[in-house]
Amino acid sequence: MLNRLLLLSAALLLCAAQARAEYTFFTPEGAFAVEVSLENPGPRLRLPIYRNRITSLAAQGDWAIGGTTAQEGLSPFLFAVSLSAQELKVAHDLTADIPGQRAIRSGFGRVGEALYAGTIAQGEGAGGHLIKTTFNGKEFAVEDLGIPLEGEGIFALTADPERRMLYGISFPHGKFFSYEIASARVKVFDETAITKEQHGYYHRYALTDEDVLSRALVVDKQGRVWGSRPVNRIFYYDPATDKLVTIEEELPTVWGRRPLGRADSWAVAPDGTIYGGNAGDGQLFRIDPVSLRVSNLGKPIMSPRMPGLAFGADGRLYGIAGALPGYAHFFVYNTASGDYIDLGNPRVPLIVPEVDSEFPWRGFQIATVTATRDGKYILLGEDESLSQLIVLPVDGAPAQQWP
Amino acid sequence: MKLLLTLMALAALVPPPAVTAAPITMNNVRFVEYPDFPDAHSTWRSIGYSTRQNKVYIGVTNHRDKVGLFEYDVPTRAIRLLGFLPELAHLRPWQWQGKVHSQILEGADGKMYFATDGGESREEYLMNHPQGYYSGLLLRWDPRAEILEQLGTGLPNESIKDIALDNVGGLVYGVSYPSVHLLLFDPGSNYLRDLGRVGSDHVPRCIFSDRWGNAYYVDWRQRLIKYERDTGRLLFSEQSIQWFPGTTGEQIITGIPTYATDTELGIIYLITYSNMLVAFRPQRRGIGEIEILGPTVDSDKTPPPGYSPNSAFADNGKLYYFVGGHNRYVVKDTTLLMEFDPVTGKRRVALKFPLDVVSEVTGCDVKDAQGNLYICGRRRAADAQDMGESGASRPFLLIFNPDKDIRE
Amino acid sequence: MRVITGIMLLVLAAIPAGISSAAEISADNIRFIEYPNFPDAHSTWGSIGYSSQHDKVFIGVTNHRDKVGLYEYDVAADNIRLLGFLPELAHLRPWQWQGKIHSRITEGPDGAMYFSTDGGESREEFLMNHPQGYNGGYFMRWDPAGNRFTNLGNGLRYESIKDITIDRLNGNLLGISYPQGHLLLYDQERNDVRDLGRVASDHIPRVLFSDKFGNMYYDDWRQRLVKYEHDTRQLLFNPDSVAMFANTPGYRIITGITGFAEDKQTGLIYLVTYSSKLIAFYPSRLGFGKMVDLGGVYDGDKAPYDYYCPNLSLGANGKLYYFIGGHGKYAIKDQTVLMEFDPQTRTKRIVLRFPLDTISEVTGHGVADSVGNLYFCGRRRAAGAVDVGESGASRPFMIIFNPTRAIDG
Repeated sequence: MLNRLLLLSAALLLCAAQARAEYTFFTPEGAFAVEVSLENPGPRLRLPIYRNRITSLAAQGDWAIGGTTAQEGLSPFLFAVSLSAQELKVAHDLTADIPGQRAIRSGFGRVGEALYAGTIAQGEGAGGHLIKTTFNGKEFAVEDLGIPLEGEGIFALTADPERRMLYGISFPHGKFFSYEIASARVKVFDETAITKEQHGYYHRYALTDEDVLSRALVVDKQGRVWGSRPVNRIFYYDPATDKLVTIEEELPTVWGRRPLGRADSWAVAPDGTIYGGNAGDGQLFRIDPVSLRVSNLGKPIMSPRMPGLAFGADGRLYGIAGALPGYAHFFVYNTASGDYIDLGNPRVPLIVPEVDSEFPWRGFQIATVTATRDGKYILLGEDESLSQLIVLPVDGAPAQQWP
Repeated sequence: MKLLLTLMALAALVPPPAVTAAPITMNNVRFVEYPDFPDAHSTWRSIGYSTRQNKVYIGVTNHRDKVGLFEYDVPTRAIRLLGFLPELAHLRPWQWQGKVHSQILEGADGKMYFATDGGESREEYLMNHPQGYYSGLLLRWDPRAEILEQLGTGLPNESIKDIALDNVGGLVYGVSYPSVHLLLFDPGSNYLRDLGRVGSDHVPRCIFSDRWGNAYYVDWRQRLIKYERDTGRLLFSEQSIQWFPGTTGEQIITGIPTYATDTELGIIYLITYSNMLVAFRPQRRGIGEIEILGPTVDSDKTPPPGYSPNSAFADNGKLYYFVGGHNRYVVKDTTLLMEFDPVTGKRRVALKFPLDVVSEVTGCDVKDAQGNLYICGRRRAADAQDMGESGASRPFLLIFNPDKDIRE
Repeated sequence: MRVITGIMLLVLAAIPAGISSAAEISADNIRFIEYPNFPDAHSTWGSIGYSSQHDKVFIGVTNHRDKVGLYEYDVAADNIRLLGFLPELAHLRPWQWQGKIHSRITEGPDGAMYFSTDGGESREEFLMNHPQGYNGGYFMRWDPAGNRFTNLGNGLRYESIKDITIDRLNGNLLGISYPQGHLLLYDQERNDVRDLGRVASDHIPRVLFSDKFGNMYYDDWRQRLVKYEHDTRQLLFNPDSVAMFANTPGYRIITGITGFAEDKQTGLIYLVTYSSKLIAFYPSRLGFGKMVDLGGVYDGDKAPYDYYCPNLSLGANGKLYYFIGGHGKYAIKDQTVLMEFDPQTRTKRIVLRFPLDTISEVTGHGVADSVGNLYFCGRRRAAGAVDVGESGASRPFMIIFNPTRAIDG
């Protein structure tokens, strides 16, 4: 079904004449967007407004599995999109399993066929839950694993499937924790928490906890868990020693803007090298897994933020740079040559079955990036009041500077 | 709402060791609190007097993102909040302003002019980042219509630390922070001219003007810079304003923090950051004469200690200034009110204040028709510790009249 | 200074086009008025509105670069004057350049005129935080009573505000940002801009409108009406799309509604879409009212959805008037046509035709004075303006049209 989609037609160029000047969008053949959200959808299955920011995203066979973040007072969803049918097939309101939750913004950790995630509860002081979810192609089964840290939500989560461990960052205090799936044993590490002094420091920059906590965690090939901690530091948890280590080198910094530093995204290369995106000024960086040397790889565009990274089947690193008050650029980084190619603001046809021709769709704010297991597609989850899922084939990405 | 604070406890303060002093006591001082702004933190030379309205205007900040504009009505002694700048100027959260750091000056049109500043580190370093600083604004309060007019920004991502007015031709002079660009605004034509960078590591906080509409600033060598209105040229004095032996470069580049004018004799009194009193006699063309009057306080230290970001010239022909602030005090944990007599060249301590009464004072030459001097006061306040970067304090309006009992 | 041209001489003969028979509408029913003191004026973009309290028409005229003039046409005095240029009126710096007023100019309950600004050039959308980029559009207010301009501040950073509408009961404004399509609710009283979220994507429909109940409307990517409901303060989405022809391309659907005109007596609102449909919309206080498909704007040899109409007005005679043509798309080759549509009989006819160097494009929504004159923003093709802006070589002028009587020039 993927290839039934066409490149945007000449008709779009006519449309361009109305409002646009000369520029080109990167719209490879086979790219598409799935209408996940639509307020008042009638008979169609869609997520309602203000409950659909796609803040957790995983690919599982033909399925894109999402977890959303809702506005205060509203509850989030788990959802499943069939990539071959290009359609939202299942929407699961988390209220049915765990009432009082606002967000599944942790990202998913996969262990076997199960996906694990963490929630953030409504209001202050209520604890977020760890959840285990499985999807059988028709429905979600959700298991509530409880509140790992009393009074704390779960801001970021990852899993080590070999050790059958989950690792997370709590919210709002930013504590690192581990969760042993077999025993449900939780261990909390206070070292990553924001101190009172750091709060004062961030206060001067009008930065909140949400602005500075490690937005993502990643497990490397040695089982170490990587994240960032205040202020601008990189840490790893070593399962061999059961200890946290803050490495000597910091996140790459633009002078004077150190308080902005935090891990926005991570990806581990096939060779074990760790890549990260720094939210502060949108720099890509690399950590050598042996020497622990941190290299600043620069930034693909002029904006802060790098909310997502994923490796494609071609061995290149795909990502999103930029966010509000700007908007997203899709880029590809060649880890061998060090070249960036800015593919611009992603625009693809939105699937609207009732309309014969394509709806051009642009992804402005992107919360999540992941790749299908075969690396052939990069999936982008929007971060909007009405968010959609964007699918881009790796095959279509140019080998050199574009356009 | 009118809130006047009588500080009975201050009566117990020890009078200063006498010179041949006029009897200045706490009866000559009044403190006025700012109503309806519980998280008020500080004031920063952000005070001015309207001769037409007989009112004093003050910008008060929480040193974060909220600046209240207050009006003190001299005849009724009533103080009221006119509004907060974000609402008055239609600013968005990403256009936050940390404070009014400039003077509030009466223009030839009877309107009150001032400018805004960031004041926090995020101004200087975050710039175009979402949490960064948009720009300082030139603003004008129309006391008759009670409307705040936005006269536009200065340079992008730069604040405006101070302004001076050309009350002959309607120009407004400003200095930007942190890049120290002298700015020339013409609100009538909406023209903004960047006269260029004239400082570096520290931005001297004070610009002033003379009766011909010329404006003055200092460069990094503490030399006077003059924008000469008649010629439209920028002049640089050949000589630096003298400093004491041992004065550090850091102090020199900070220049002049305050001025006060003897309008009868045409003298502008200046105080440098390194505590030198100066009499400056401006002239229409060229840079005028500079006379060194010695240290702000009698001290056996060189350079003399202290810090005076304020001064006012009283009807009795004497110059008054407070010494202390930003942890630079002559007497430990004490702010001094000094009197300087230009005729005799003598100076004396007129009053002393503990820091929880007066910890720092700002304001340049704000005086009403009855000879009351108005100054922005701050007092040390532990409960304001988590606010802003610049000390834990609470602000108040300080009224001082060296010749009259002005108690409530 | 008053600069008013005579009646244009280049109106082509009114040709019925075989649709229905013509009434006596001729060149005498239309006047063109030039904008004084702005020699590099390039265009106008729906940026017109009528003040019922002051009997004046206000127009925003742009050089499509960085200079927008605000004009006032005094109906009684038949006088047009330049009130000023936005950079000076709003005290903007060069890095806060505004390419145009793309919004209509709408009268608030306080009698002031409200509008918003737009970039309009590629550098708006792409340069963003670059020194040459676009800083953001503004909400603005002109008070004719005191001739006072107020800058009400920005919308979102780097985003322009393509159009606004006003809650006629409380004066709140609803705007749409460009390029990200966020609905912005501006509460004047509280100086609060509330971002209601993204409701469009690849193309930003250019038109918002309001009803007599204080409700405000936009449309989403499926061309469904989106309503900000005054009473409940909620954003509602209509389950059904506004009518469209079969096979209407998606890019036309997402462009949505391009014009509207209200029958002030009944509250009925006529809409025209980018896919060339005329709709009668009967707003209701709560929820969505009835919509009636009135058919296409033009019956010609192209696909029925392929006629471009970014304007609409309702005559005092109960008939709709609109110009078809612009942005390189014309019903008749190299001609702009003025259409009359009778909602009662659903018949339409061409009443006037114009070569493109007389009228090349017309914008404006429901701008009518108390004596039945309809006002539009006009553009004419002008080779002399070829190096100005991105949107065609043109010169702007104001059109006054009265279908029922001759108007003096």
